Amino acid sequence: MAAVATCGTGAGSTGSIAAAASKNNVTSFQRKGPRASGTDSGCSRLVSIAGTRPSVRNGQLLVSTGLPALDQLLGGGLAVGTVLLIEEDKYNIYSSLVFKYFLAEGIINGHTLLVASVKEDPADILQELPAPLLDDNCKKDFDEDVCNDKTPDSNIKMKIAWRYQLLPKMESGPVSSSRFGHYYDASKRMPQELIEASKWHGFFFPEKLSSTNIESCSLTHGYRKLLQFIQNVIYEEGFDGSSPQKKQKNILRIGIQSLGSPLWGDDICCTENCDNSHSLTKFLYVLRGLLRTSLSACIITMPTHLIQNKAVIARVTNLSDTVVGLESFIGSERETNPLYKDYHGLIHIRQIPRLNNLIYDVSDVKDLAFKLKRKLFTIEYITKLTSYGTQGQKYLLSGHLQRKFAMNKNHCFRRLRTLRKIH
Amino acid sequence: VTPSEGAGGGTRRELEMESVLALGGLVLLRDSVEWEGRTLLKALIKKSALCGEQVHILGCEVSEDEFREGFDSSINSRLIYHDLFRDPLNWSQTGETLPGGPLGALQAMCRRTHPGPVTIALDSLSWLLLHIPCTSLCQALGALSRQHAHPGGGSPAEPLRVLGLLHEELHGPGPLGALSSLAQTEVTLSGTVGQASAHILSRRPRQRPAHQTQWFSILPDFSLDLQGGPPLESQPHADPHTASVDPTAHVTFNLHLSKKEREAKDSLTLPFQFSSEKQQALLRPGPGQATGRIFYEPDAYDDLDQEDPDDDLDV
Repeated sequence: MAAVATCGTGAGSTGSIAAAASKNNVTSFQRKGPRASGTDSGCSRLVSIAGTRPSVRNGQLLVSTGLPALDQLLGGGLAVGTVLLIEEDKYNIYSSLVFKYFLAEGIINGHTLLVASVKEDPADILQELPAPLLDDNCKKDFDEDVCNDKTPDSNIKMKIAWRYQLLPKMESGPVSSSRFGHYYDASKRMPQELIEASKWHGFFFPEKLSSTNIESCSLTHGYRKLLQFIQNVIYEEGFDGSSPQKKQKNILRIGIQSLGSPLWGDDICCTENCDNSHSLTKFLYVLRGLLRTSLSACIITMPTHLIQNKAVIARVTNLSDTVVGLESFIGSERETNPLYKDYHGLIHIRQIPRLNNLIYDVSDVKDLAFKLKRKLFTIEYITKLTSYGTQGQKYLLSGHLQRKFAMNKNHCFRRLRTLRKIH
Repeated sequence: VTPSEGAGGGTRRELEMESVLALGGLVLLRDSVEWEGRTLLKALIKKSALCGEQVHILGCEVSEDEFREGFDSSINSRLIYHDLFRDPLNWSQTGETLPGGPLGALQAMCRRTHPGPVTIALDSLSWLLLHIPCTSLCQALGALSRQHAHPGGGSPAEPLRVLGLLHEELHGPGPLGALSSLAQTEVTLSGTVGQASAHILSRRPRQRPAHQTQWFSILPDFSLDLQGGPPLESQPHADPHTASVDPTAHVTFNLHLSKKEREAKDSLTLPFQFSSEKQQALLRPGPGQATGRIFYEPDAYDDLDQEDPDDDLDV
């Protein structure tokens, strides 16, 4: 059937990228595995798959989400076998960008992609992926960019809290291709040869629709077809270990765009009391089961601002592993708020999973904002400090602890270093 | 009818309204009881017809004669009218009605392969929402907008415009939100006394959405008359919250240091700072300091016996 589109040679060129990427050890300690003579890497227990690394906290295998800042907030990366749910912003600009970063990271690392969408053809989505920043020339541009943003005050060495100068700074520069996370230039497209060298499967739901009569289409029809498609790909390509094969193991990156929108045939966005309110939750449950038994990671974007029934949102959040909400300032009253002047929106980390673990790995600071500079998507902390008796005046504390706060452009605060009370 | 502004301003506003039609895709005209949108729909249809496009109209709410009223014959000859008003459920069994009901009619429009730009006007989407499920309508509209991206003959993309009239008050937030997310352009009608305005929100793909407000009026022959502003200039007062507040004023502590104070602050040696002077002071004993001596005065309960007290134990 013409609905399934696979392309790319795959094996040859991904092997070369994989070899370059496998030298990505986090520590210098090497586990002593069984060194049988001349056997292939499939025998050793610790298989090193391209583009993954074990978590430093619990050894879980992680893949990068494509945004190193988001990786840091999620505790190192996205765990293999889990679902990352992105709650779309109102006009679906930034969530589709995060979606594309995830897919682009898969192409760079040589992972297999599975793209499912309703609005755009998956081939078109792949044509619009951002280009990776790999050269050192780009590093110079990036450093210039960062220096322009810094105020002169932040270069003064700290006198009281001098021990904090020894703290490691947050990684914010482009890295070479063998490292874990990559930076992407949103203004350029990924080179065609990289896309063609990659292996991908596309699922475009309207193509499936046209073959059947719409009247007889039940609500779970679209979801059922998608689940069957994913299951077929996992089984045929051996991501669940079912077909023992000699070639190197790889990760399947699944991307599903706008799940839950009416174009899938689901009416949770249209009414509050819908007939098949459980189809979406059943889909997520079965999908998570498929993911847990295979080497795959999934990103789903969902227009939760359209879902009428709040209970469904809560159920969907519980059924996903990691949930990140994006809220853009476009069209809202926050656009003119001076506090959010430098940023394009807020990021809410709604849920982080506890995988083989008793505790969460959540950061203390909850106010996170993102901005899309001309090349890069950065995430920073905003902290507001409201002092007493000043009725809604807000201050921003700068540079005290070598974290990034939102302070750069406002002239009043350049001289605000310490707060002293003069009697 | 107020006269329009000067020529320069007029062309600029013309261009803004042109952009509504130029984007293609689904244009949602949201009207209400106070500000009805059918006249604007007919004005846009007239504009498209004058550009030489083919116009298909799916009429559900008013009869064909009433809809064609007001158009002159040249435009009327270009309009292709699909009538769902007279006999939507095919009770008269004459065979004139469109097969498949409303959904079939909509799907029939998807399948056309005429060359050249086409405009489809749906009068109205509210009627369609009440008769077919929202998801089917959204899927059909999605198929329509995809039709213009990948036409059947392989020819380059011709803009296909779908103008949909939607009565806001008839629907809850669910269907409104679903249709808004599908629309390329949303035109919301409102206005002040005597003057209609259109708030246009246009979503270009992969760009920030732009919105603007356009004051207009429609002449009896359904041509669009764009105006600069409302007749009574009632500007809203500046919102006090958006005025930039200087937080450093009226603060109980001192934020600004004078030069002398700054110098004094910089030269102050902090207690926990391990400066070189302190290091020298620790390494070299000072002149007044002898080696440490301990002065102790025993009190009544102290036992100065040097023996080991544990010897008394019988272990």
